[in-house]
Amino acid sequence: MKWVYRLVSLFIAVLFAGPLVWMLFVSVKEEGMKIITVMDWFTPPYSLAVYQEILSGTKLTNWIGNSLLVAVFVTVLTVAAAALAGFALSKIPFRYRTLMFFVVLAGLLIPGEATIIPLYQVAKDMNLLNSYQGLIIPALASPVAVIVLKSFFDGIPNDLLESVQIDGGGSWRIFMRIMLPLCRPALASMAILTFIGSWNNFLWPFLSITDDNLFTLPMGIPTLISQYSEDYVKPMVVNAIASIPIIVLFVIFERQIVKGISMSGIKG
Amino acid sequence: MKMKKWRADAQALLFLLPFLIVYGLFTIWPMFKGVEMTFYKWTLIRKMDFLGWDNYSKVLQDREVWEALGHSLIFVVLTTPTMLVLSISLALIANRKSVLQKFYRSIFFIPSVLSVAVASYLGLFVFQPYTGLVNSVLHLIHLLPGGTEIFWLTETRLAWIAITLITLWWTVGFNFILHLSAIQEIPDEIYEAARLDGAGDRQMFWRITLPYLAPITKTITMLQIIASFKVFMQIYIVTGGGPLDSTRPIIQLIYQTGFKSNDLGYAATMSYLLFVILLVLSALQYWMNNRKGAELS
Repeated sequence: MKWVYRLVSLFIAVLFAGPLVWMLFVSVKEEGMKIITVMDWFTPPYSLAVYQEILSGTKLTNWIGNSLLVAVFVTVLTVAAAALAGFALSKIPFRYRTLMFFVVLAGLLIPGEATIIPLYQVAKDMNLLNSYQGLIIPALASPVAVIVLKSFFDGIPNDLLESVQIDGGGSWRIFMRIMLPLCRPALASMAILTFIGSWNNFLWPFLSITDDNLFTLPMGIPTLISQYSEDYVKPMVVNAIASIPIIVLFVIFERQIVKGISMSGIKG
Repeated sequence: MKMKKWRADAQALLFLLPFLIVYGLFTIWPMFKGVEMTFYKWTLIRKMDFLGWDNYSKVLQDREVWEALGHSLIFVVLTTPTMLVLSISLALIANRKSVLQKFYRSIFFIPSVLSVAVASYLGLFVFQPYTGLVNSVLHLIHLLPGGTEIFWLTETRLAWIAITLITLWWTVGFNFILHLSAIQEIPDEIYEAARLDGAGDRQMFWRITLPYLAPITKTITMLQIIASFKVFMQIYIVTGGGPLDSTRPIIQLIYQTGFKSNDLGYAATMSYLLFVILLVLSALQYWMNNRKGAELS
């Protein structure tokens, strides 16, 4: 019984890994190879020629740069704005605090996909289409991040803050000196999830960007792949180049990512 | 934190301001702007004629809209139960002590970090006839006789299966982690006590594990239903909504109406129909969660 269970587990894991492993093998094949059985995909000869061709002959590296630029700005600014807002909601006893909390909570109910058409119009009115600002700014408000960070701040005892207040520290100092350092794990988790979300974001760039110098990677992929004919090698190289950085990032930050997901209980 | 009332108000405002500006401009304001748009013939270039309620009466009678909503619903029905079973199974596998435990945890999640474009194109090639991975593996192990091919993406029913499998593979990771961390929170003593009473593995799964997972599973179910209703990109890339629009989900129709047929006003009207459906679902989820809370207290 036990080995049946193990075998089934292994089989499922192979199914999960299969497409990715296949992608990597196909991506190092030479173009135009004759494929008769499935084993032909995995056997030598291997070659990195297509990688070189794609990296130097297309705008893919540009798009990787764009994705990176956008994701870094989105991550830093989103987490900063969410931390500030979460701190106010958690620790500052202002009027209408409950109301404000519900206003943020309501944001969870507003599905981005359902307001994407008016968002397009709003962005157009503000001259944000086809610009880096347009890729970054509309992505910065994350109610989920605010709520997760608020609940983290809630866990820090008020006594600690009041002792700093007695020493003459203001809210800003409490925020910078106590809250941020104590909540570093939560901030890191939010940052990584935001980064991955931005790196993979498709719908908004797809609608708002038409200039191919401003494409992000997820948009560049269909653009490139649809130009290639039947052969699999080029598309797989494009896929591999797009996925390797994010998989490496995952391997480095696996722990924070897992923690971030368990904390939010919300899917990306 | 103690402070004077007016000081608290002023400081809270300053701390909240960056978030509120972006949130207001790009989440709240578009919601209202969208309502205005539904009352006009509104193209990509400019606002045109005032239509009154025309878009609304049109959307309720538009067969394409209801068909597309139906396709989104099919996707919900196909992905939700399968997702739950898969997610719990993977969590059980990755929870068992084994030399491969770390590998299992990583490999079940890794597809989730891929871009929807990568996941979809990978799926597209995996399900390609002749040289695609699935068909050639089936040939290799002689499950599929030589000379025959399965055309996954050009037959409606098979296309749905392919789309479902791709989606499960790509998105199960998040739910898997939620289930896994819920399993890890079940106290060991309960299992030990059950074992002393002579309970077998199967009994312990049905009587202990599953009931303990019920709350998170409820949450996942609702989030999954809502997320599945919003499906677009993987279908758009894998089948393009075809064959003959038979897999086209509502978001794709909204996109095509707005940006291909140049009718943002009508597209916005459709969005609000979807919005209402999602809002009802969210309210249902909130109500279910609260009822659960009431039972506990």
